[in-house]
Amino acid sequence: MNLECSPPATMIDLIKVSKIYPPDVQAISDISLTVTKKEIVFLTGVSGAGKTTLLRLISRMEKPTKGMVDVAGMDVIKLPERDIHLLRRKVGMAYQDFKLLPERTVADNIAIALEVVYCPRSVIEKRIRELLEQLDLVRKYNTRTGDLSRGEQQRVSIARAVANYPEIILADEPTGNLDAETTARVMALFTQLNHKGATLLIATHDRSLFQDTPHRIIELRSGRILSQSEARENDSDDLFETAPSLLEEIEP
Amino acid sequence: MRFWIVTIRHACRNMLLTWKAQGMTLFTVSLSVLIFSFFYLVYINALHVGEKLGDDLRLVVYLDEEPAPPLQEEYRRRILKFDQVDRIEFIGQEQAYKRFEQILGKNSDVLAGVPIDFLPASIEVYPVRTLDSLARIKRFSDYLQTMPGVIKVQYGKEWIERFYAFIQLMRIITLLSGSLLIMTTTFMVAHTIRLTLFARQQELELLRLVGATNNYIRTPFLLEGALQGGIGACCGLGALLLLYNWISLQFAGPPTTMSLPTFAFFEWPVVVAIIGLATLLCIVGSFSAIRRFLHL
Repeated sequence: MNLECSPPATMIDLIKVSKIYPPDVQAISDISLTVTKKEIVFLTGVSGAGKTTLLRLISRMEKPTKGMVDVAGMDVIKLPERDIHLLRRKVGMAYQDFKLLPERTVADNIAIALEVVYCPRSVIEKRIRELLEQLDLVRKYNTRTGDLSRGEQQRVSIARAVANYPEIILADEPTGNLDAETTARVMALFTQLNHKGATLLIATHDRSLFQDTPHRIIELRSGRILSQSEARENDSDDLFETAPSLLEEIEP
Repeated sequence: MRFWIVTIRHACRNMLLTWKAQGMTLFTVSLSVLIFSFFYLVYINALHVGEKLGDDLRLVVYLDEEPAPPLQEEYRRRILKFDQVDRIEFIGQEQAYKRFEQILGKNSDVLAGVPIDFLPASIEVYPVRTLDSLARIKRFSDYLQTMPGVIKVQYGKEWIERFYAFIQLMRIITLLSGSLLIMTTTFMVAHTIRLTLFARQQELELLRLVGATNNYIRTPFLLEGALQGGIGACCGLGALLLLYNWISLQFAGPPTTMSLPTFAFFEWPVVVAIIGLATLLCIVGSFSAIRRFLHL
């Protein structure tokens, strides 16, 4: 099958989406956005611009006040509560506040995402080790996440988000607490997953992440799209220019 | 299969997480089952005793004179029209004398010189052998008393009334202890599940975010409730069995001494039904807590 000839499938489609938090805090205003399969999109903007809200709307952690949200072919707003798991299994999200279980080990925290889809124990073990190696956390396998540094916790959160190869990865400030080398590791992991077919939406303040990137950059301000750059088709598809050596290291 | 492995692991984790509350719940469920099953055991044994004693139950209707065959037929017709009556028997004065003589045995010589017709003729009425007939026996006796030629109607009135009152009391106590069982098990289990839900709130929220189905989240809690009910009922019935054996040993002895020959423990189907009922009640308690606090 020649995938290059087929039109790009829409993975995320937002039409005139608004979100107002009570009493009348306008977080998102009439945003329309389409993200196609295997696309990488950077969402940027100052704090309070609406990046996190946008990601939460896509993962149905919030419902929009108005507009339409379609993710991986599902009408997110009309999706009944009992079927939300279908959406959540396709969308892996790395949260800004990590959402880790501090009393449980690193391995347990990552395993949760695989257990809910009934992966066999051997597969879970293998995948956890693979991810921890890629994120340089192998020695923390049995450490309680409450005992980790924020940078380490952030990486565990990312590992959990990508553990079951979701079709869409939403990363909310994924490198906020990381040094340059670890940032490169994370971005290399994202690039690898993108090569395998994942669509990525990365919300970040960190301009170094998308400087000279060939991918689309959307800048939000006060809940609206301020500017949007187009993806450069012929450029290298490496997500992070300084990561190729790491990418070579982790890619099979 | 994988689903059940994960579910059992989660349920065990839940129970370990709140082991103190689990212990209290188990104790409460066991105690409730013990109380209920103790009274139920006494009640059904009393029913058996009542049935056995009912075999010998009869009403003796004494007549002022021996009835002629047409009158006997009239008595038979009027008495047998009641559904509660199994059969009747006419006892003539001579037959009554012979019976009395038999009863006296070696001492029958005391009857020497006593006229053979000194005892009145009677009708022996044998009611149907159900406990309900005991309740109606007084009314029936009153009716028999109104028949012409009847001097007196005799039956173990006091004994029957006391026994019936005892059965009624046991029925009420069994119903009350059954209600206690229902309230304590559902309430305590719901309360414990609620504690578990609070203890695992963060994890449950996360499970939803990573794509767990409602069943994946809900089933371990239902299993937890079922385990509490099942284990609690087994403990309660086990304690009752120990108590039963101990009491049986205390009253065991030669046939001349006081013994409990008709007192029996529950049949297997009843044991299974009690365990099933307790398990079901605990599942209901668990389900209500999940619905209320987890909104699933």
